[in-house]
Amino acid sequence: MIEIRDELNSLPVKTYRWLNVNHLNIYENIDKDIKPYNKRFFEEMDDENISIGSISNIITINQHLNRINNEKYEYGVSRKMVDLAENSYNAGVYAYIKRGANIKKPIRIEYEMDRENDVVIDNSIIVASENSKATIVVDCYTVDDVDAFHNSAMKIYANSGACVTVIKIQRMNDNSNHFDSNISVVENGAEVNFIQVEFGSKRAVTSYTSNLKEGGKSSIYSIYIGDKDRELDLSYYMNHLERKSISNIEAKGALKDKAKKVFKGTIDFKLGSSKAEGREEESVIIFDKTVKSKAVPLLLCTEDDVKGEHAASSGKVDEDKLFYLMSRGFTKEEAMKLIVEASFNPIIDRIPLEDMRDIIRKEIARRLVVEERI
Amino acid sequence: MVFMDTNRKTYVEDIERGIYDIKNEFRYSYKVKKGLTEEIVREISEKKNEPKWMTEFRLKSLDIYNKLGLPVWGPNIDDLDIENIVTYVKPNTDMKYSWEDVPEDIKETFTRLGIPEAEHKSLAGVGAQYDSEVVYHNLKDYLSMKGVIYTDMETAVREYEDIIKNHFMTVVPPSDHKFAALHGAVWSGGSFVYIPEGIQVDIPLQSYFRLNAPGAGQFEHTLIIVEKGAFLHFIEGCSAPKYSVNNLHAGCVELIVKEGARLRYSTIENWSKNMYNLNTKRALVEKDGTIEWVSGSFGSKVSMLYPMSILKGEGARAEFTGITFAGNGQYLDTGAKVVHAAPYTTSNINTKSISKDGGVAVYRGALVITENAHHCKSTVSCESLMLDNRSRSDTVPVMDIRNDEVDIGHEAKIGRISDEAIFYLMSRGISEEEARAMIVRGFVEPIAKELPLEYAVEMNNLIKLELEGTIG
Repeated sequence: MIEIRDELNSLPVKTYRWLNVNHLNIYENIDKDIKPYNKRFFEEMDDENISIGSISNIITINQHLNRINNEKYEYGVSRKMVDLAENSYNAGVYAYIKRGANIKKPIRIEYEMDRENDVVIDNSIIVASENSKATIVVDCYTVDDVDAFHNSAMKIYANSGACVTVIKIQRMNDNSNHFDSNISVVENGAEVNFIQVEFGSKRAVTSYTSNLKEGGKSSIYSIYIGDKDRELDLSYYMNHLERKSISNIEAKGALKDKAKKVFKGTIDFKLGSSKAEGREEESVIIFDKTVKSKAVPLLLCTEDDVKGEHAASSGKVDEDKLFYLMSRGFTKEEAMKLIVEASFNPIIDRIPLEDMRDIIRKEIARRLVVEERI
Repeated sequence: MVFMDTNRKTYVEDIERGIYDIKNEFRYSYKVKKGLTEEIVREISEKKNEPKWMTEFRLKSLDIYNKLGLPVWGPNIDDLDIENIVTYVKPNTDMKYSWEDVPEDIKETFTRLGIPEAEHKSLAGVGAQYDSEVVYHNLKDYLSMKGVIYTDMETAVREYEDIIKNHFMTVVPPSDHKFAALHGAVWSGGSFVYIPEGIQVDIPLQSYFRLNAPGAGQFEHTLIIVEKGAFLHFIEGCSAPKYSVNNLHAGCVELIVKEGARLRYSTIENWSKNMYNLNTKRALVEKDGTIEWVSGSFGSKVSMLYPMSILKGEGARAEFTGITFAGNGQYLDTGAKVVHAAPYTTSNINTKSISKDGGVAVYRGALVITENAHHCKSTVSCESLMLDNRSRSDTVPVMDIRNDEVDIGHEAKIGRISDEAIFYLMSRGISEEEARAMIVRGFVEPIAKELPLEYAVEMNNLIKLELEGTIG
C-alpha cells in the first residue's frame, strides 16, 4: 500500500486561498506494493568516457552526491515523495561523464510498465564533469491498461562548463499516477536543458528546480496535453543564486474535455544574482469550455540589477487558421491537431532521436484526433 | 528599459513627509476601550443610535471575526495586536455642513492637506473624516437637486435605511475574510453616494480620511450606487501622522455599477509608516457598466489591498491602473482581482511598482473566468522597478480559466534604471539626480496621467521626496 497524504507542488509564495493553487492536496491510498522492477531499463554504453549503471550499484559517484546533499537543495513535488524515491526505489540509473568528454549518443532509459511491473519508483543521478556534454532520454509508458504508479526523482549535477540535456517523456495510460521530482545544480558556466513531455496518466504531478551558479544557463521546454479528466500539476522553479545566470521557461499546452491543469512557474532572483536574466512564457490552447486551466507565473526578486520577464496567454484555436485548413480538406480535429503540433514543434525538434519524435507526434494525433491506435 | 549597473548610491534613512506628519493634540469626545469585545461593539452601535438590524449585523460580524483565521499568505502581520487598537474614537465635534463650523485644529489639518481649496476649485462635493467620524460633508446644490445623495454613512443608515439595509456588506460580506468581519463589527464613518439614473456628475466627489488618534483603527465604510447610465468620479484620499504605536485601517468600499453606468474610483493613499492598511474594495458591475480603478499606494507599514471587480453583466468592463511605491520599512502587498462572470466582459490591468531602500513591493493578482463567461478579453501588465538590491519585488498573479472562448494575455517585467539612459540625459546637461527622477516619472507617467491633476502633482512631489538622496 502506498499512502499519499500530502500537500504537493506548494507555491514558493502563497496567495489567496480561494483560488486553490497554493498546493495540490492528495489524500489517497494507492493499492500497490513496491516490488522489484524486472525489466531492463537502460542500455550499457560502450564508451570509456561514461560509467553508467543501475542505481543499486552506486559507489563511484557518492562523493558527488554528497555535494548535492550537503548543499541542502530543496526540491521535488513534496519531501515525502522525494524520500520515497530516494529510499525505496526499484529502478534508476547513475551516470558519470568524465571530464571533457562529449557523449554524442544519447543515454536512453526506458520504463515500460505492464501488469507484472506496474510500480516504478526510480532514483537517478547524473553527474557531468567539467566541460563534458551528454544527453539523457527517459521514456516512461504503459503497454496495457494496467493502472500503473510511477514516482521518480532525478538529480542532475552539471560541473563547470558541462552541458547536459535531459528529456523526460511520460505517456502512460489514463488509469495511472505519475509523480516526477527533478533538480539540477548548474555550476559556473554550465548549461542544463530540461525537456518535459507530459502526455499521459490520469494524474501527473511534476516538479523541476534548477539552481544556477555564476554564468550558469538553464532552460525548461515543456509540452503537455490534457484530455479526458486528466489532472496536471506542473511546477518549475528557476533559482538564480549567482551572477550572470540565465534561465528560460517555455511551456506549451493543449487542453480538452474535462482536463484540469495548474502551471506554476517561478523565477527567483536571489541576492547576489546581479546581471542575471530570466524569461518565462506559457501558452495554452483550449479546446473545450469544460477544461480548467490555471497559471501562476511568479517573479520573485531581491536583486536590482536583473532582467526578468514573464508572459502567459491562453485562448482558443485561431479560427482563421482552422478555417483555412478545413477548406483544404482537413477535418476539424485534424486541423486542430496540426495547429497544436505546429505550436509544439519547436520543442519537439529539440529531441535528438527520430524514433522518439515520431512517437510523440503519433501520440499528439492519438490524443487529439480519434481514440484509435495509429 | 535597458538595464545596467550603477554601484554608487547613498541613502537617506527617513524622509520628512511634511504636512502629512503634523499631528494634532489628541482630543476626543468619546472613545471606546482598547480591544474587541461584544460589549465594545454594542457600545459603538448604541452611541451611533443605530437601528436594531445594524447592531445585530455588527454582532454577527464579530462572531465571524472570532471564527476566522488570519490569511496564510502575504506580509507578516503578527505585530498587529487588535487587543491594543482602539476601534472607535469620536472626535470632539459633530458633523458640520459648513466649513466655518469645523473646529480649528481639525480644520487646519484639512486645510494643510488642501481639501477646502480643492473643493472650491474642482470638486462637486467633499467629505472629511477625522478618526472614526465624518466631520464635514458638503455637496454642490445643483447636484442634490438632481437627486444625487452624498452623505456620511451614519446619516445614511438613518435616512436611507432601506437602501443601506439592502446593500450594506452584500458586495463584501463579513465572511469574506477576517478583516472584513472586523470591519462589519466596528465600522464607523465613511460615505454613501447615490447617483440616480442618467445623471452625469461632471466634476469629482471627494472623501478624505485622516486618522489622528494614536493606536486607533479607522474602519470607514463607503457605499456607492451608480444607477443606469449614470457617471461618477469619486476620489478618496487617506493620510495619518506617524506615532510609535501601530494604527490599523480596515476600511471597506462597496461599489455597485448598474447597467450602462460608469464609475471611476481614484485613491491616493499616503498613510504614515506605522499603519496597517488592510482595506477591502470591491465593485459589482452590471450589463455594459464600467468600473475604473486608479490606485496609488505610497504610505503605510503594511498594505494588503486588492480592489476586486466582479463583472456580473454581459459586456461589463473593468480597468485597473495602479502604482505602488515601497520605501524603507514598508511591505506593500497590492494588486487587483477580476472575476469575469458574464460573456463579452473585458478587463485591463496595468500596474507599476517601485521598491527602494529595503522596501517590499508585491503585485498579487487574480483573474478568474467562469464557465459561462465566453468571449472575454483580459490583459494584465505588471512592471516593477528596483532601485537597489536591499529591496524586494515580487509578482504573484494567478489566472484561473474555465472556458475556451477567451483571449487572455499576461505579462510582467522586472528590472532597474538603465545607466545608458541616465548617461544620455546627463550628456544633455541634466544632473544625475534629476535624470533619475525623470526616468522614474516617465515610468509612472501612464499612471500619473490617469490621476486628477492635484494628485498627479502630489505623486510627483512624493516621488521627488522619496528619491532625494538616493544618488551618491
